[in-house]
Amino acid sequence: MHESQGIRTEALTIGYDSDLIKEITFAVRGGEIVSVIGPNGCGKSTLLKTLAGHLKERGGFVYLDGKKRTSFDKKEIAKRLSMVMTERINPELMTCRDVVATGRYPYTGHLGILSESDQKVIEEALNSVDAQEIADRLFSNISDGQRQRIMLARAVAQEPDILILDEPTSYLDLKYRIELLTEIRKLTKEKGIAVLLSIHELEAAMRISDTVVAMNREGVQRIGSVEEVFTESFIRKLYGIEGMDVSILGSVPWKVGYIKKPCVNTTGKAKVIMVQGTMSNVGKSLLAAALCRIFTEDGYRTAPFKSQNMALNSYVTKDGLEMGRAQVMQAECCRREPAVEMNPILLKPVSDHRSQVIVNGRPVSNMNVKEYYAYKKDCIPVIIEAFGRLSETSEIIVVEGAGSPAELNLKDGDIVNMGLAALLSAPVILVGDIDRGGIFAQLIGTVDLLEVDERERIAGLVVNKFRGDEAFFAKGIEILESKTKKPVLGTIPYLSLLFEEEDSLSDRLGSHEKKPFQIAVVRLPHMANYTDFATFDQLEDVGVSYTDRAEDLMDSDLILLPGTKNTIEDLRWLKKTGLYNVILSEAKKEKLIIGICGGYQILGKWIRDPAHTECGGEEEGLGLLDMETVFGTEKIRTVFEGVVEDAEESLAALRGCRVKGYEIHMGNTRIAEGMRSFTSGGTGCCKGTVYGTYVHGFFDCKEIAAGVLRSAAAKSRKQIDTIGLTDYVEYKDKQYAKLAATVRAHLDMKKIYEMMGLPYDKNGTV
Amino acid sequence: MNQKRFILTMIGLCIALVFLAVLSLFSGSVPISVSELKEIMFGQVKEGMNVNILFQIRLPRLIGAMVTGSALALSGYLLQTFFHNPIAGPFVLGISSGAKLTVAFAMVFLLSKGWKIGSAGMVLAAFAGAMAVMLFVLLLSLKVRSMSILVVCGIMVGYICAAVTDLIVTFADDSNIVNLHNWSLGSLSGIGIPEVELMSVIVLGCFLFVLFLSKPIGALRLGEAYAASVGVNVRLLRVFLILASSLLAACVTAFVGPVSFVGIAVPHLVKGAIGTTSPWRMIPVCFLGGAAVTMLCDLIARTFFAPTEVSISSVTAVLLVPVVLWILLKKKKEGGGPYA
Repeated sequence: MHESQGIRTEALTIGYDSDLIKEITFAVRGGEIVSVIGPNGCGKSTLLKTLAGHLKERGGFVYLDGKKRTSFDKKEIAKRLSMVMTERINPELMTCRDVVATGRYPYTGHLGILSESDQKVIEEALNSVDAQEIADRLFSNISDGQRQRIMLARAVAQEPDILILDEPTSYLDLKYRIELLTEIRKLTKEKGIAVLLSIHELEAAMRISDTVVAMNREGVQRIGSVEEVFTESFIRKLYGIEGMDVSILGSVPWKVGYIKKPCVNTTGKAKVIMVQGTMSNVGKSLLAAALCRIFTEDGYRTAPFKSQNMALNSYVTKDGLEMGRAQVMQAECCRREPAVEMNPILLKPVSDHRSQVIVNGRPVSNMNVKEYYAYKKDCIPVIIEAFGRLSETSEIIVVEGAGSPAELNLKDGDIVNMGLAALLSAPVILVGDIDRGGIFAQLIGTVDLLEVDERERIAGLVVNKFRGDEAFFAKGIEILESKTKKPVLGTIPYLSLLFEEEDSLSDRLGSHEKKPFQIAVVRLPHMANYTDFATFDQLEDVGVSYTDRAEDLMDSDLILLPGTKNTIEDLRWLKKTGLYNVILSEAKKEKLIIGICGGYQILGKWIRDPAHTECGGEEEGLGLLDMETVFGTEKIRTVFEGVVEDAEESLAALRGCRVKGYEIHMGNTRIAEGMRSFTSGGTGCCKGTVYGTYVHGFFDCKEIAAGVLRSAAAKSRKQIDTIGLTDYVEYKDKQYAKLAATVRAHLDMKKIYEMMGLPYDKNGTV
Repeated sequence: MNQKRFILTMIGLCIALVFLAVLSLFSGSVPISVSELKEIMFGQVKEGMNVNILFQIRLPRLIGAMVTGSALALSGYLLQTFFHNPIAGPFVLGISSGAKLTVAFAMVFLLSKGWKIGSAGMVLAAFAGAMAVMLFVLLLSLKVRSMSILVVCGIMVGYICAAVTDLIVTFADDSNIVNLHNWSLGSLSGIGIPEVELMSVIVLGCFLFVLFLSKPIGALRLGEAYAASVGVNVRLLRVFLILASSLLAACVTAFVGPVSFVGIAVPHLVKGAIGTTSPWRMIPVCFLGGAAVTMLCDLIARTFFAPTEVSISSVTAVLLVPVVLWILLKKKKEGGGPYA
């Protein structure tokens, strides 16, 4: 038998009278079993019949042995491809041998007389399915299981390179099913036949398939290995049984926990290093960012990675996909475009108990903790795939953990800390926060609580946020090293660098230091995307306070309303706390008030949520701007590039300024006629001293930040020096360089390179 | 084992044919002795009434009966294969009735205009009718998947054709009526040498043609999908089957009139005898079996109530309907089947 190239399709469109499924591309090679799964009536048989040529392809191509099927005539196809169909045949007075003999049709002459070699093939086919003893019985007198075996023998007698079986195990009892599948597997391996079969028994499909094609009425949903296809959430989605109780099936193998953990083979690909913390906010993100910049400076193509982020704060990539801002910052440190692969899973809290789950940049659904806990094991392939894509374009990947690796109650199915480290075979740097105290308990305790194999992954410790003289801590390092048997890679000083921070616990929120020029950001309970105002940190004389105190608002020179995840609830909160009236009275005093996104919506007259996108209902806004917002179900996520079209006298300096930023919101705002526009494209409006815009990153351009500051200062009759102000992007880059320099000075980079198996002085720069 | 059964069946049928042929030659209102027959047959006596009786009446009729039976049995076998239906046959599906209608039409209207249609014209007219009904049934078969409904439809079409034929007879000239009436009941009386020759040529041709299709017909036993999957050009095969079965049925109808139940019953009888459905064996056995059965029926038709002759269809019905019923009951017991 010649080496079979099997069968493959290219952008195949199938269907009877109309296009049922389009763009199907996959291949079955010799010696390989590919199974097609999916609900009843989704087109599995149609696909198989089209491949076999019983139905015409409606588009695209089918290749047999590397050549277009249409280039063969019927008999040549029959010599290469045979099929077992679902149609139950009912031949009269035909023995099993007669039935098998029909498989020789394409090989016999005009009269159909069987030669000796034909007879031999028939006997072999009967033997291959152990059917010699029923060979002379009438086909109509044997059982279903035996019939299916005979049909298999008939297909084998056709001596095909490709065998297509349409639900071969249906109607069969357990014994026959096992026998038939065993025979199919044996034939595949022994004869090197390419086997394509449709099947409903997922357990069996998992065991015998090399590749699985999963389809439903919407089309082919996934083509991949067993591990890639048989995840609980995917199977539930495929068959439309989300949320259905499947316990009646007993323990089904596609349920979570059955599949052994796949492992990423990282050898020969990117080097990996992972940063984990003893708790939240120990400075993992910053340390990872610093490492990213250091490796980048040292000439390595570096990328950040965090499997799962929990943050209110998200960023929209060029493709309109959402990801955590920490990885954006780290990507900027690597001097590369942020990509959603760097943070495949993002959780955005929408209430105390629920989070929006964003996978590969797109919202999947809102889940509570329990639901997510069940869901997250399904995310392993997503994470692996994202990491895989990233490693193709990177030499070093800096992976960041989340929270603590010793959350003992949550360790089962961990995909963010040690579980991920194991998956990626990554050495781990464990970071503790000395500023918050208990550094020994943090580091030694965490190491101690880990399992033996996890402990081995830890390659070094880092003491972060150290204040004062390092020399005094020499003893501390000794203790840490002797107790944990791990090297301390360095103590990093408390960085007074100002950065985007992802977590809501960010220290920034606590600052109440008074500066000559005060900006008050209303600290809404569901505040999001507050990096909008980080650019103001550049100026010494400018203080930004995130506040919920009326005095702060009244004392400020500029009031900013930030974006929020829950506009209506936050509006109600404003009313409840009385800040609502404070803002109104400040507006009356002609104080400059600027709202961004959700804050902009709050400035309007009404906010309505008929579709229950947030919490439902409607709420009267501040009414400072003549517009109203209705929440739709569609989320707007775009990058914004435009100008300040118009502005009131109070911000006249901004007119014509270029604006770069992004929009991310659910609501649609209708601006009343006669309102002055603000940012272009109907993304904002203004009235008097009140301004609103949907554009995040509005202040990042130095002209705008400076213009706003100067106007606000003029109103308060203050002087402000904005010369030190640069574009936020530039500012950030300088900060990153500074950060990297500091960390480099305090961290044993040689050891870190060694951990990754890289030479320390690649370019002699260190 | 099958091989032996096939050979035994063939031998048996040949013996039966010879026996029936001899019997047919003897039977009739004019008694002919064995020695006389021998002399006439071997050409020792060349003149006389009995010579004419034998060569102009009994021999054509005998061969006519044989050919009729062969054609009907073969046609039935092809239709049963085609429709995957054990009770399909030219009569049941209304094909014979369609042929009868067009032949009646041709006879009445063309003869009244003074045109004489020859044997070939009759065959052509019958073939047109047979094809028309066949195509109609085929269209139905696209719509209805259930075989029993298809058969009922065929019978209904048969009734319509019969009704229209009656109508034509009603308005026909008196001179034609007698002719037409005899013919429409189905009778081998009055068949002549030229007709028998034409029939024989057509039926033998069809037989060889069908025999040549044995291989694809054999593959079709597993259903069209499987046949297609081993490389049978199913569409072409269908066309061949339709043409051959219609031509066979039409040919019989044109000369003998509609003869019922031979087409259904004979394939089943011979199938049981040889114990296989291999077309290589079925086709010749049907051919001989149909000939034997029809010869027997014709013999009965003309001798049982002699000198009165009954229509051959009456005899075939009485003898073969029980066979058809037996088939149906047997199939029912097996359960399911494609016509359930």
